[in-house]
Amino acid sequence: MTIIQILIIVIFTLLFAILKRGRDSFLLIASVLVMFWLQPALPIRGFDFWIPIATLIITIFTWLITTDNKLNRKNIFTLVIIASIILLINLTRYFSFAQIFTPSRPPQIEITLIIFLIFGLIFFLLMKYNASFLTFGLILLLSIFLILKIPAWTIELSSLLRALNNQSLTNVSALDIRWLGFSYVAFRLIHTIRDKQAGRLPSVDLGEYITYVIFFPAFTAGPIDRIERFIKDLRQPFEGLNQEKFFEAGQRLLIGLFKKFVIADTLALIALNDTNATQIQSTGWMWILVYAYAFQIYFDFSGYTDIALGIAKFIGINLPENFSSPYLKPNLTQFWNNWHMTLTQWFRSYFFNPVTRWLRSWQKPMSMPMMILLTQVATMVLIGFWHGVTWNFTIWGLWHGLGLFIHNRWNDLTKAKAAEWANTPFKQNVLNISGIIFTFHFVAIGWIFFALSSPVTSWNMILKLFGVVSP
Amino acid sequence: MTQEITNSIAKFIAEKILKQPNKEIKSDEALISSGLIDSFSLMDLALFVEDTFGVKIEDTELNADTFDSLNQLAGLISSRK
Repeated sequence: MTIIQILIIVIFTLLFAILKRGRDSFLLIASVLVMFWLQPALPIRGFDFWIPIATLIITIFTWLITTDNKLNRKNIFTLVIIASIILLINLTRYFSFAQIFTPSRPPQIEITLIIFLIFGLIFFLLMKYNASFLTFGLILLLSIFLILKIPAWTIELSSLLRALNNQSLTNVSALDIRWLGFSYVAFRLIHTIRDKQAGRLPSVDLGEYITYVIFFPAFTAGPIDRIERFIKDLRQPFEGLNQEKFFEAGQRLLIGLFKKFVIADTLALIALNDTNATQIQSTGWMWILVYAYAFQIYFDFSGYTDIALGIAKFIGINLPENFSSPYLKPNLTQFWNNWHMTLTQWFRSYFFNPVTRWLRSWQKPMSMPMMILLTQVATMVLIGFWHGVTWNFTIWGLWHGLGLFIHNRWNDLTKAKAAEWANTPFKQNVLNISGIIFTFHFVAIGWIFFALSSPVTSWNMILKLFGVVSP
Repeated sequence: MTQEITNSIAKFIAEKILKQPNKEIKSDEALISSGLIDSFSLMDLALFVEDTFGVKIEDTELNADTFDSLNQLAGLISSRK
């Protein structure tokens, strides 16, 4: 998001916070509009218009298979609102001055109407047999996820779509299908499907569900809230904005804007990237690039989180925290308890804990260290894959998975001795501060795989940092 | 009743998780957010609670938002018994 886009969103949010009335409709309509508005332009004809529609369709279908709350008047009304917004945006095609919601001219309206018809048919089918589609929905979401995250597959899909559209195949690239917000949307949807399967999903109506999934402050960069927590805020009567709440939310927003647009964007000028990694000739400068990247990614991401939390607070929604001073933690386990917390919590809830529980239930369970190694590495590699299925994200996941395992074993061996040694506040501080410095460097070196795109360049960079080969 | 629950869990945490049998754990001390119990040991704790008190703790509930102290965990257990 650009600073102008954020300011426009803030102005409209404040306007509705002051109006007080119609907040829930505002949140739904604004979320849908913002999704079309922020979607980047794509080279495949019409796609920047179809992708937000696809997000809405999979969200509505997932609601349908997870709900007991059938088509009542309220839900039909929500469907009508969504369809009207789509058609209105589509109609802007005929008014060149009015194309403010989409990055390029929307396609012919006939295609949208055909999509509505197919949507309607599937909708009634799913309504009849909803629960039996839960596993199918899960597999479908994960498949889309893989296609979007494995660059070779994205290119295949793009070639196919270009061919269908009679467009040239010469410039085909994985960037052709940038589905804004999909990583977050898919994880929210999977959360509701898994909770439905466990019988613990609260009953929500369609409007609440869509607002939760594509909630505009958190749409592009999280956090990943839990639905039961989100609707608790949503169902609380909105009492408007008093002075105290305004300053609290405003302060959060300003801190976020400063972190993102002043600190992170300045650091970006010297942060490690594929170009400067091969150009820099001095070891000292290399460390500076790595440090700059480590701080840039933190200020960028936590800045966006502050912005999201601030905007949401204006309108009475308290999104969960995503960062809690992660670089000031004395070990890697604590770092991961405080970095992108809503994502790691998601992985604990739906991967790490179920797998650990399953491994424990074996007749002859494997040894504890083996189990810890397996679950930690698998979880961290999957978190790597969430960013993209590439070698570098895999290595980054392995780096952290093995790091967590080693920390766990080390802690087991030395915990008693360390507690015995650190018998004065001074010694405790020494232990704590050296832990913080070591953990920060471990994470910073891991970021090299995150910042660069090839394992070879990344490895050479590490060798040069430690003077194994001269720069 | 709650006192019995907290005592028995405190004993389990000190002996089996922290491996410091003499360590005293206060009933309002932060267990998860402080990093005292890591995510792996948290599953040990859940299985212990399930076996001892016959109360199910879901995989999605093993976090500081659901319970962070002995008191909160004991409250959760009592409310489900």
